[in-house]
Amino acid sequence: MKTRGERIREWTSEQTALSLGLLLVGAGGVAVFFVGTILLVWLNGPTPWESLLETVLSAAQGTVLNLALGLGAAAAIAGFASYRRMPTKAAREAAVSGAALGVQAVLLVGVFYAFRKGENVALTVRQNFNFELLGEFGDAFVNGAKNTVFLAAVGEALGIALGLVLALLILSERVVVRAPARAYINFFRGTPLVWQLAFGYFGLKLGMRIPISTYQTAALVLGLNAGAYSAEIFRSGIQSIERGQREAARSLGMSYMQSMRYVILPQAFRRVIPPLTNEFIILIKDTSLVFVLGLTLEGRELFAVARDAYAERFNATMYIGAVIGYLAITLPLIRAVTMLENKLRAGYR
Amino acid sequence: MSAPGGDALIRMEGVHKWFGANHVIKGVDLSVEKGSVVVIIGPSGSGKSTLLRMMNMLEEPTEGKVWFEGKDITDIRTDLNRVRTDIGIVFQSFNLFPHMTAMGNITIALRKVLKLDAKEAAERARAELEHMGLPEKADEYPSQLSGGQQQRIAIARALAMRPKLMLFDEVTSALDPELVQEVLDAMKRLADEGMTMVVVTHEMGFAREVGTRMIFTDGGRIVEDGPPREIFDNPKDDRTKDFLSHVL
Repeated sequence: MKTRGERIREWTSEQTALSLGLLLVGAGGVAVFFVGTILLVWLNGPTPWESLLETVLSAAQGTVLNLALGLGAAAAIAGFASYRRMPTKAAREAAVSGAALGVQAVLLVGVFYAFRKGENVALTVRQNFNFELLGEFGDAFVNGAKNTVFLAAVGEALGIALGLVLALLILSERVVVRAPARAYINFFRGTPLVWQLAFGYFGLKLGMRIPISTYQTAALVLGLNAGAYSAEIFRSGIQSIERGQREAARSLGMSYMQSMRYVILPQAFRRVIPPLTNEFIILIKDTSLVFVLGLTLEGRELFAVARDAYAERFNATMYIGAVIGYLAITLPLIRAVTMLENKLRAGYR
Repeated sequence: MSAPGGDALIRMEGVHKWFGANHVIKGVDLSVEKGSVVVIIGPSGSGKSTLLRMMNMLEEPTEGKVWFEGKDITDIRTDLNRVRTDIGIVFQSFNLFPHMTAMGNITIALRKVLKLDAKEAAERARAELEHMGLPEKADEYPSQLSGGQQQRIAIARALAMRPKLMLFDEVTSALDPELVQEVLDAMKRLADEGMTMVVVTHEMGFAREVGTRMIFTDGGRIVEDGPPREIFDNPKDDRTKDFLSHVL
């Protein structure tokens, strides 16, 4: 094993002046864009929105953009023109990376230019980046995030349990067992969640007087919906396990349920972690639809909090608050699941 | 023939198998005596694996009956899970459980099917690992083992159930050439210990040396049945002659 220092020295020795230069110029383009913009916003202050607007339109910001554009375009053009002639693989990779970074810098600048030159940039900034307003709703957003996580977690737990049962049912060889499960899944996948929530509320809670709270109704309907999607995920996972596994288990005298429990499902579970995570992330965002139920103040999730706050202040920055909340939930979750996957994989593959 | 099963461990009578419109086994009568090592050879597609897999009902005969120890296992009322604990099978593709260690692979059925306690199951597993010459591999996962080692673990897993009959379905066909011998040696040891075995194989040396009886199948029928040496040295049927001239 080479040390980090040795690897860096080896890499450097394989570079040419041009390849190193291209990499630095390309990276410089992206760096100037981000560092310059963030620095200007920070110096001038992100609030009030007027100062943010001022920064965006300032000559200094224009200089940052032009510099980033120049560096990016230079790296992109020179990089793509010269990478084939680089003498070593490391040099070629550096040249291509420089060109790729250059393209990214150009695209970023392009988007920012379009925004800056927009018809009514003042309105956009005032309506979406008026961060001052978020302050007073801080506690409400934190509470909203809690409710989002809780609704999604309960919904997913219900969904996994239900999905597993449904998956086993639709895999049955008997049509009378398969058909009702199939009908359930197709119904819940085939109708809008927002209608399911409304029907759950007006039909079950108000109409049939089933004694559950609105909050419980929301979690229940989310679970019933997630169950349909999880069922398909589990079905494909179970079907992906080689036939020989089931044959080996049955040949050892295991019953159908034993072979499922000890042999098939543990393997299938590992395979469905990525699609199941995906489903969970979709569910987290789908909790935004429970606003149709009209939850009580403390029961409101992120999106409902944002709607309320918007109604109070007529400013869409409130939705940016919700977006920050969703990202604060989903990004660590994605990271955690990736780590879990790697850990499980290390076990036997 | 009073008792339909007779003294034979396995007895098949008038067995047919169709896969859809494909008639794979076309009327087979066969019995396997206790203590014998029956080797089944034949061209691919001749139905030898299907025949073997019907002995533990992994394939259900479309027609005909199969008895194990005098019990009709094609009868719908037979508890197949119970019967299968007495019949071990080893597959071409090992089919070890990849999420369990060697130890876990061997003990899972001991604990969950035979209901042995953890200690007893572990002892039996260790004894079988020793038996297969792999005592140090107990805590390894299948992916950490060579093909030959995996196949020996698979044999140990089957043997730990203390079966009365062992079925081998082309167990060396998926192995690198240099790993074949260790598996054949393990099987030979088993035969020497008196295990009743039915072996589908392409290993002619093993068939001649270890088999007490050889069956040649072609086109879903048994065309030759007798002591291996006799068949090798003096095949009667033209198809057998043709096959042997190609493989020897």
